[in-house]
Amino acid sequence: MKEFGCLVCLVIQFLGFVAPVNLKGMETKISMTLWNRYTAEMVDGEPNKSAFTLERGYFRVEPTFNDKVKGRFNIDVFSSDKFTDGAGLKLKYAYLDFSNVLPIPESSINVGLVKHYFGTIYDWEYISIEKALEDKEGVAASTDYGLALFGYIPGGYGEYEISVLNGEGYKKTGGNLDKEPEFAGNIRIVPLPGVTLGGSVLYENDESERLAYAGVGHFSKGPFELWGEYLVQDKSDVTSSGFMVMPILKLKSLTNIDVDIVGRFDMWDGNTDVTDDGHMVVIGGLNWNLVRDEKNAPQVFLQIQGEKTIFEDEIKSDINRLMIQLQWSFSNTI
Amino acid sequence: MKKFGMFSLISVFMILACFTGSSVFAASKSLTLTGSTTVLPIVQREAEAFMDVYEDISVSVRGGGSGVGIAAIIDGRTDIANSSRAIQTKELKTAREKGVNVYPNIIAQDGIAVVVNPGNPIDSITVEDLKKIYTGEIGNWKELGGPAKAIVVISRDFSSGTFEVFKELVLKGGKVKDDALMLTSNKAVATTVTETPYAIGYVGLGYLSEQVKALKVDGVKPTEETVRMGKYKLSRPLFMYTNGKPKGSIKTFIDFILSSAGQRIVKEAGFVPVK
Repeated sequence: MKEFGCLVCLVIQFLGFVAPVNLKGMETKISMTLWNRYTAEMVDGEPNKSAFTLERGYFRVEPTFNDKVKGRFNIDVFSSDKFTDGAGLKLKYAYLDFSNVLPIPESSINVGLVKHYFGTIYDWEYISIEKALEDKEGVAASTDYGLALFGYIPGGYGEYEISVLNGEGYKKTGGNLDKEPEFAGNIRIVPLPGVTLGGSVLYENDESERLAYAGVGHFSKGPFELWGEYLVQDKSDVTSSGFMVMPILKLKSLTNIDVDIVGRFDMWDGNTDVTDDGHMVVIGGLNWNLVRDEKNAPQVFLQIQGEKTIFEDEIKSDINRLMIQLQWSFSNTI
Repeated sequence: MKKFGMFSLISVFMILACFTGSSVFAASKSLTLTGSTTVLPIVQREAEAFMDVYEDISVSVRGGGSGVGIAAIIDGRTDIANSSRAIQTKELKTAREKGVNVYPNIIAQDGIAVVVNPGNPIDSITVEDLKKIYTGEIGNWKELGGPAKAIVVISRDFSSGTFEVFKELVLKGGKVKDDALMLTSNKAVATTVTETPYAIGYVGLGYLSEQVKALKVDGVKPTEETVRMGKYKLSRPLFMYTNGKPKGSIKTFIDFILSSAGQRIVKEAGFVPVK
């Protein structure tokens, strides 16, 4: 009952805040980002895949109702051989963002299908075509249904988030929903310019108990950037762990060509008690920013990357993959 | 191990570039300034005068707005970001993450002048009434003792530094009415007010001319003296943000602006010197 009382107080405060808001959209940004991809895959020296796809297509509507309330609605369209018509559709984001609801400076509350603040997944910008480590290994989805408190640490020293979510991500919703929520926390600290350290934790106790945590580091100096992440998950007495290292060299400041050289190395052990179930992934390639907008965000972006997956189990063959991806986006504010 | 050879080579190359990169940047003798349209009239004049004295340093000036300037310094695309507002916490965090230590240099003071068409008989306004006009609570000039004509509300767009300061000093939590005209530059606001008999807008002091009438705010006219004395309520500092304390040709340029010759140009441009 105590929790219910707190919830009622929060809702009353929330309604008091929202009541004066005229929900007629004041400014609305409409945008699209599309990812056209070619993938060639070789297993055991034999071609396994050679396909052009629309990997993702985000259609976004972002209304700003006033300087305190804004929203984001995002659907994802993609080509898929899972469905008979060859196309798929997912809801990716659908949330309202209320700034400074609580008496905490520089904070906001997100309600709806929100970002999942865990590890590197929520700010992943696809520097490598491959997904973020926790997404790739199925530890956390990039968005989920729930409520998140987000805030900046004064002076630009970092950010923090606390979330209560379904815990199933955005893909499985509508089926067998969880009975218990997931609780997640995340912090990023920037103690020195160019040095970012962070950590995330999530816990849920549904049909089985699950605890996952991640440590994140980012280093940036001149044209060089380095990302690092360490990830652990304990689920049903099975412990999985792994890490990712991703160096980036930006050639623009050295050569005036807007190309970044990207490398990435992942190691993942699905069950630390079993000896031959791990794999590692080596990625190398380049990202070429062909067109940028006035705030320097890429508008037309070409990526060419090679990826090799090597399995600990010697019976399994290595997978070699070449991916060429053209990302393009456009937007208008009405 | 052979398969990791190329990966190791790339990594070593990147680490070496990290240590050699900074010396590559330092060789430049050209300066790029990007950002606020409010600061633009100052920097254009300063750049011309500066290049007359320092012939070996070329200065190029771009507008775009305070937000665009700050984004440019964070991404290393400009040497100086001109801004009519203080940097936001979110921007500061992004800058620090990318290894940019944003440093504020105040080069002038400005007043945000509230302007109407010269044919409008109204001469003064209170901050309270100004808020009511912009939030839609007052919609007709007759409510302020003027003609029975609807008020055409003109504002700067959300990404403008001038809007940010106006929001803080005037709106104080209120929101601009939905049918307000949101324009992208000081010049566009001044021109639209000139051409629209019952319009109201706001611009930096440098954009005042005989084509618009500046209203007294809470009984005080927006002038260099009232801004400097702190009597005019709608005033603000103008910034030039640099990556760290200014050095080299960037320092030479900012020192020039803060010199007596540079501050004289600030005054000629219609703004308020800080020295």
